[in-house]
Amino acid sequence: MQAYDVIIIGAGFAGPVAAKKCADAGLKTLMLERSENVGEKVISGLTIPIYGFLFGPAFIRDGNPPIERPVDGIINYIITDIEKGEIEIDDTLKIPKPFAPIVAFGYNAYCKPFCEWEARKAIEAGAELRTSTLVTDVIVEAGCVQGIITETGEKIRSRIVINAEGSQGLVAIKAGVRRKYPPETISLADIYDYEMPKDRVDEIFGFSVRFCWGWDEQRCSPPLGHGNGLMVWPYRDSLHFMQDQCLRMDTSSVPNLKKMFAEYHHNITSKLPWWKHDVEPHARLRAHMWEGFEIYVGLHEELRSMPNHTDGMILVGDAAGLESTELCDGVPAAWISADIAADVAIEALKANDISRSFLSRYDERIKAHPILQWSISGTNRFNLRYAQHEHDLTKLRRYVHNGWGLGALTHVSTPLMKMLCRHIIANPMIIMQWMKMFFRYYYNWHHARFDYSAFPASAGKEFAGSKSDKRFRACFRLGQVFLMLCLPFIWILAILSFPLAEILNPAMKMLLPVIEPLYARILKLFAPISAQLSRSMVERVIRTDPKLFEG
Amino acid sequence: MSQKYPGVEWIDGTGTFITIETHKCTGCGNCVKVCLADCYEIAGGKATIKNLELCMECGSCWYVCTAEAIAFAWPKGGTGFRTRWG
Repeated sequence: MQAYDVIIIGAGFAGPVAAKKCADAGLKTLMLERSENVGEKVISGLTIPIYGFLFGPAFIRDGNPPIERPVDGIINYIITDIEKGEIEIDDTLKIPKPFAPIVAFGYNAYCKPFCEWEARKAIEAGAELRTSTLVTDVIVEAGCVQGIITETGEKIRSRIVINAEGSQGLVAIKAGVRRKYPPETISLADIYDYEMPKDRVDEIFGFSVRFCWGWDEQRCSPPLGHGNGLMVWPYRDSLHFMQDQCLRMDTSSVPNLKKMFAEYHHNITSKLPWWKHDVEPHARLRAHMWEGFEIYVGLHEELRSMPNHTDGMILVGDAAGLESTELCDGVPAAWISADIAADVAIEALKANDISRSFLSRYDERIKAHPILQWSISGTNRFNLRYAQHEHDLTKLRRYVHNGWGLGALTHVSTPLMKMLCRHIIANPMIIMQWMKMFFRYYYNWHHARFDYSAFPASAGKEFAGSKSDKRFRACFRLGQVFLMLCLPFIWILAILSFPLAEILNPAMKMLLPVIEPLYARILKLFAPISAQLSRSMVERVIRTDPKLFEG
Repeated sequence: MSQKYPGVEWIDGTGTFITIETHKCTGCGNCVKVCLADCYEIAGGKATIKNLELCMECGSCWYVCTAEAIAFAWPKGGTGFRTRWG
């Protein structure tokens, strides 16, 4: 019987993050993955929101992970009558130029290459990986998890187990930490992947994701009565299309999703004007797949109060029910929770105490994390169903605006400010890392330059030393020096702002109705010059040596 | 590669990873309604598994089975569906 310090169940988005940190700390770490190759059973439509990169694991922030496209905004289509083409647009949530698209809102990615990238980082740090290995149970001795049991009956002992097995939580249920989630907290996502030439994606979508919202009787996504929406993510040279529905609404009967999905997909692709005219002629279906994931676990009082640990085991990511109820996105929560779990595991092994009373510090840190808590308790998406019940267009517009328009500032400002302040207070130099990350990610995306990928060696190099490159490097360095000089002031500002963060959300609620029209007018006024500045910045960024953005 | 669902492959040797305890099944048909792979049918007032060949392991059938008649487990390690477009 082999023995490890840490066993991690699952090598999706969360598992490798915990594995890398444990291995970096010198712990003997084993990751177990049921699929033959890492990431090939992970399905999602995916914009990984920026808070995952800013506040998540350092190796992701400072690394070169494979991304498909930066995202600088959301265009919401509110479909009130698909037959008559009555569609409203809310595109107020957008990073303004000239910051966009270098400063992004999040990054689109395919799951498999991203999870593989993470797993390779964990392996390089010294973690072991065993694939095609299904964990079916845990070893429990004296009331404490002491390792795992595979489907072949093999027992592998470890001092602690980090469970990153995903939503269904079959091992967690066996271990008595979870129960099967009720169907109204689960969403079934029906996902299509379309190939499309990159120049068409650039032209039609640019860096914006598109969400559609509408009434049930339109028979096109989303039937709000059952939950969620239709989302289209532009990737490098493809589109990811997802419609998703709760398996049941409250305690009503289960809808015929098989029939609904087929009908909605047909209707939306044949009736939605921009899909029909701009996308359909250029897109070719490449894959159709689906997955079940938890969406409203965080809004379920009983489930929310379940501990995320037991003696000898910690649950992370989807296995802990940490899916975002607003954005339908579990990746940042997976990263952040896995990072915290690894810290707690390291501390527990050092103190030689894996009891649930010691591990309860994991839950305390999860609960004290402003972004995690915001992400699992947002109610806009959930409330859309009431707009549907009442067929109230004003409500629908408001929820869409507050969820995925500028109105999001009324609930995200406080947690965001708290996290920004917390990080800056702890280490003001992180601002430099954030800045470099935005530039590097954009550069990497443009040149398809990622770790472990065949990087075109010439990319950018041909411009090195040119007059414009020299000028850009000088400006960039000057910016860095200026920022360095400002750091003490920013640090003081962060200390002073931290207590005020609490009032940011209510302040935004009061001020936004006044500020928003003004903000829109200013953006419009400066649109030509800011667009020119943005273009010129991008031109210079992609024509320089990427070493500028590293370290 | 399946013609019905492009971009997805299934690796043989899964074993019977989903089972139905027929005496518990009420024949409500929830599993038939949510299974996008068409794995289920109702025969003689009870749900039966036609085949699991196109199952993408989403677990929806298990979640909606309020009679707790469906037992859901993962297919054997290294088998079942896979895709690179998730």
